[in-house]
Amino acid sequence: MMSNNKFLLALFLIVTLLLAACTEGTNVEGDSSSSPDSDSNAANSGPLVIGFEADATTLLANHDVNYTTDTLIRNIYDPLIDRDPQTAEFIPVLAEEWKNVDEKTWYLKLKEGIKFQNGADFNANAVKFSIDYILDENNGSFYRSRWANVEEVVVLSDYEVEIHTSVPFPSLIQRIAEDLLIMEPGYVQEVGIEKASSEPVGTGAYTFVDWSRDNYLKLKANEDYWQGKPKIEEVEFRIIPEFSARMSAFMSGEIHLFKNIPVDSVEQFESDEVKQVSSSRINYLALSNLVDGPLKDLKVRQAINYAIDADELLETVLSGNGTRITGPLSKLNADYAETKDYRYDPELAVKLLEEAGFKPEDLSLTLDTPSGRYPMDSHIAQAIASQLQSIGINVEVRVNEWGQHLEKIQKRETGDMYILGWGPAFDAQSTIENLFTKEAPYSSFYEENIEKKIKETNQLFNQDERYAGYAELQQELVEQAAWVPLWQQADLYAVKTSLSFSPRVDEKMNVFEMAWN
Amino acid sequence: MLDFIVKRVVQVVIVVFLALTVVFFLIRLSGDPTTLFLPPDAPKEQIEEYRELLGFNRPLYVQYAEFMKGAVHGDFGESLRSGEDALGLVMARMPATFQLAISALALSLIIAIPLGVLSAYKRNTLFDKASVGITVIGQAIPNFWFGLILIFIFAAQLKLFPSSGGGSVKHMVLPVITLALYSVSRFVRFTRSAMLDVLSKDYIRTTKAAGTPTSTLIMKYALKNSLIPIITLIALDLGVLLGGAVITEAVFSWPGVGRLLQQSLMNRDFPIVLAGVFIIAIIYAVINFITDILYAYVNPQIRVK
Repeated sequence: MMSNNKFLLALFLIVTLLLAACTEGTNVEGDSSSSPDSDSNAANSGPLVIGFEADATTLLANHDVNYTTDTLIRNIYDPLIDRDPQTAEFIPVLAEEWKNVDEKTWYLKLKEGIKFQNGADFNANAVKFSIDYILDENNGSFYRSRWANVEEVVVLSDYEVEIHTSVPFPSLIQRIAEDLLIMEPGYVQEVGIEKASSEPVGTGAYTFVDWSRDNYLKLKANEDYWQGKPKIEEVEFRIIPEFSARMSAFMSGEIHLFKNIPVDSVEQFESDEVKQVSSSRINYLALSNLVDGPLKDLKVRQAINYAIDADELLETVLSGNGTRITGPLSKLNADYAETKDYRYDPELAVKLLEEAGFKPEDLSLTLDTPSGRYPMDSHIAQAIASQLQSIGINVEVRVNEWGQHLEKIQKRETGDMYILGWGPAFDAQSTIENLFTKEAPYSSFYEENIEKKIKETNQLFNQDERYAGYAELQQELVEQAAWVPLWQQADLYAVKTSLSFSPRVDEKMNVFEMAWN
Repeated sequence: MLDFIVKRVVQVVIVVFLALTVVFFLIRLSGDPTTLFLPPDAPKEQIEEYRELLGFNRPLYVQYAEFMKGAVHGDFGESLRSGEDALGLVMARMPATFQLAISALALSLIIAIPLGVLSAYKRNTLFDKASVGITVIGQAIPNFWFGLILIFIFAAQLKLFPSSGGGSVKHMVLPVITLALYSVSRFVRFTRSAMLDVLSKDYIRTTKAAGTPTSTLIMKYALKNSLIPIITLIALDLGVLLGGAVITEAVFSWPGVGRLLQQSLMNRDFPIVLAGVFIIAIIYAVINFITDILYAYVNPQIRVK
């Protein structure tokens, strides 16, 4: 009996020792992703660690249309044109200036003396190469759909290019700012796409160090960066899909920054560790007139606008984390114009329904919603249903998986109403053209005159005429009650106080703009 | 014996084929992935064009036949998102998953077998009751919850271990414990009942009566015999663990196959999902195959059947 106990004791001791060997002080090869010090004073010496929900799918620029991919690689590659982090106005980066030569030609002058991280010169060839990468069918870039109107990129000199389009393309500058990042042609040709996809070279503020998929991406400061040496030496993007794990990693000081605190978890953070910015991403309730049903009737759509109290939804379900909108564009949008606000008026709603020939009790509507795509989306849907219920309208809420939700919208198989978000949206065209025309995949609304006006306005090059055209469209769309506009989302960031960070309105995270306090 | 092995190999092939077929059609139920790849403002013609480029416009049976043709040659195509070789991406994750699975299995065996033996030997004592009680709780606790609790205590509060990621032994501790919890509970219960069974056998009583010391009795006579059925359990568990412990890998951001599959499923990156299923099905089938052979070797009766 005694020897048996000894045996067990020995086993437990071994286990304990094994575990102890794994704790503090274990010198493990390659353990460079160990936690940065939680002590804010010591944090300056270690790398900045940013938590992300998902990883980039590739590190090649101009390929995958994906928020995470784009946000990560924007630290390695530079765009030609960027947006101001707060006002979203265009600012020159690698391009110095740009103008229309005629309706189908854009001219860009590039900055001189800029080098890629491998020492190669940045010039017009790199711009042509990067755009051609998107346009070449064989590359399968998912950006090509947005660039289909570009016919050719012509190199005029080392630092001048012209972009020729097949139709007038006033929003090309937006495409350049939002999509295009400049790759090093020599490097990509030399090592091939596959290697360039995992070991990228750009002109950006940070150079590539190491990428362990779904684990981390490590970068270090580009000492010779043309805009000056970055203030933060090393940065690691760490992939932590689970929110609770991300929160724990933040609390323990393993990560310094992450985006998307769920609105119902904000209270768990210290108030000085939460930063908020009004996103250009808007959430709305589409009142579809593309599916058969009572919402083809204008009065019914208007009645629903009067019957829903968006302010109350924002206050109660989102705890105020959002900014109300009344029309299809947010105030961050360059083409924003003030529109009529349907105030909450249930009596008027009932009256309008009766005028349209409906008794509220006879009306049965369906509402499609994704779950977890937008802040509290399915809760919002339930709350909307109950507000409509209070005037007697019967609403059935259907919760969809995200891919399925999109497919339903495209195939016009949604219920009468659905919840959707749109953004980043900084110009009218990309919102209005895509959401209020007959054929656009995610559209919910069609009206002949409005569509005609959209097409005319899109082609206008004169800024004032363009603005006036979109302003009128915004008023008409609100008058037509095409949506119940809800709010701009609030982007909520958890930020350690040791880090100086201002959230950008376009949701990007450029480490070059950050510094240790 | 050769006949037996050939039969089993044929079974492995059938299992892998069926697994791929079922998964191929199941993931298609989630719809056409093209729209998720393109920007939301992509016009209809573009969506159609990509559908054609990616081959999703063809009838499902044609897509299936193409896929199977490739699969037979070990070609699962390229990732729809990044264009890299799908099988290569899955294989690159195998070491991390192996590391986690083998460690978790080793830890659970080291803990569970002595505990099970002792429980059986001290049947109906307080020790036995406590150990049975704890194992019931161990089996009942959801994996992800236990993982999060460990993260909260040991990473967030005590700061002893990193909460997530891979790359070092330190990173392994919490996920290995989480993963081992369930196996430990199963192994303890199984070892205990197998031991009880053996301990009640006549030959044990005879050996005991002959004055054999308790440790020899347990280690040499009882444990050896009761371990045979446990082999099956170990094999099954290893199969499950190697299949990528999806939830544990997600909670701890462990960069293994489970995470890759989960992520690829969310991204609708079908080639990666299918390549992953292929590898997992093969591993599972091969482990079962080896177990059967071992069994047949140990117990000739199985061969005859």
